[in-house]
Amino acid sequence: MRFPTDENVIVGLERADDAGVYRVSEELALIQTVDFFTPVVDDPYAFGQIAAANALSDVYAMGGVPKTAMNLVAFPVKEMDLSILRAILQGGIDKIREAEVVLIGGHSVEDKELKYGLSVTGFVHPRRVLTKKNLRAGDRLVLTKPLGTGIVNTAIKAGLADAKLVERVTRTMAALNRAAAERLAAFRVHACTDVTGFGLIGHLAEMVSGSGTSVHLEAAAIPVFPEALDFARMGLIPAGAHRNREFREAMVDFDRGVSRERQDVLFDPQTSGGLLISLPAEDAGALCAQIRQEGGTAAMIGEVLPDPAERIRVG
Amino acid sequence: MKEIDCRGLACPAPVLHTKATLQQDRPESVRVLVDNAASQENVRRFLESEGYEIRIERTGQDYVIVGRAAGAAARSEERAAAAKPAPDRQTLLVLCTSDRLGRGDDELGRRLMVNFLKTLREVGPDLWRLVFVNHGVKLTIDSSEVLEDLKGYETSGLKILVCGTCLNHFGLLERKQVGETTNMLDIVTALQLADKVITV
Repeated sequence: MRFPTDENVIVGLERADDAGVYRVSEELALIQTVDFFTPVVDDPYAFGQIAAANALSDVYAMGGVPKTAMNLVAFPVKEMDLSILRAILQGGIDKIREAEVVLIGGHSVEDKELKYGLSVTGFVHPRRVLTKKNLRAGDRLVLTKPLGTGIVNTAIKAGLADAKLVERVTRTMAALNRAAAERLAAFRVHACTDVTGFGLIGHLAEMVSGSGTSVHLEAAAIPVFPEALDFARMGLIPAGAHRNREFREAMVDFDRGVSRERQDVLFDPQTSGGLLISLPAEDAGALCAQIRQEGGTAAMIGEVLPDPAERIRVG
Repeated sequence: MKEIDCRGLACPAPVLHTKATLQQDRPESVRVLVDNAASQENVRRFLESEGYEIRIERTGQDYVIVGRAAGAAARSEERAAAAKPAPDRQTLLVLCTSDRLGRGDDELGRRLMVNFLKTLREVGPDLWRLVFVNHGVKLTIDSSEVLEDLKGYETSGLKILVCGTCLNHFGLLERKQVGETTNMLDIVTALQLADKVITV
């Protein structure tokens, strides 16, 4: 398919990045993104927060600052109480306010299945756009949220997660990637994306493909919800994780010491996951320290190797 | 033979049906029918984690997972075999229950523990497991003074186990930087297998 384009498109459809970027002037480019999905948690207010954090994340992942948002709603108005919709929208609004973004419109349709999300617009300097492409040998990889939310959500659906775990996972999914994103400007960041439906390996594979480099992941250094390992061992793995594995397995070399369940977590589809950042080693240490100092999660999970085979090695 | 038909069900329903059946009684053998690869893999994992030996059959679009109870004894032997060290070596397990060495002066205890963990490498290849429980888990997080040393041990092949319940209790789950987050069963199994256990 050929897409209409012009010379001001900095990141368009053919790049398949986190969001589109369009140059307005020498100093300003627009970042545009849209994302919506069916509920991932039972609590409608929390779902609203998570959906908003997830939509905003694409702007952060491009190195931008989100400015405006519009609601997208599909709601079974005949079957479901309107108070549920109100709670979802309130969750979204509170999250948007936290991000200092304004809500300037929206659209709703009647649908059998409830869906909520946002279209978000942000600003970035045209020369400071961060994409998935540009890994450099010697870089370190930093991840800013723990993995395993897909598996834990499967366990929640199965009624096997306790209330405290539900709360912890919900808090992680609803957390904005803002704090980490705002720190990035001070460092020599080479590439950035956010970890969502394709899982850590799926999104990393997009970064590695065409980069002329390979990466090494330190399995023990990757932050995960430990309960996710237990649930994976029991077979509480979302179908998406199996699909992600099938799709990308051929690119990955697992060391024998990496257990099957730890592999599962690396393929686990994440809802509103963390940023995955590639930057020089010295910068990576300082970035992690800064994010942690502010109470956020940040872990150095691996490095970019000069090997042109474009492999993902996990040890 | 207990048969469970999970065709037409999406994850995690097939695992839950199988789990419910196993909770009623523990059949010697069980057959689970599913109609997609993801459910096949998940049910297989679940039955394996429950100590069943698995055989998979394909019938048309469907999968049949046949599980045969290996028995609780066989299961723990299997765990042991997987964890068993090389036979020609003494195995030494060090259980760290605190981030201080000894009682009395806290500041001194902190420094002694740092020194202890740095010096531990002198034990050589007999050192087989390092287990952190209670306040000991604080030695494995980002602000630990011995983090680099522990990472060094891990790189050189020493297995480090960190109590997940303890990390959770202190709210440090996301700050752990080294070792494998583990449960009490793995810790107890390791203690049982070690030739010598040193508790600090």
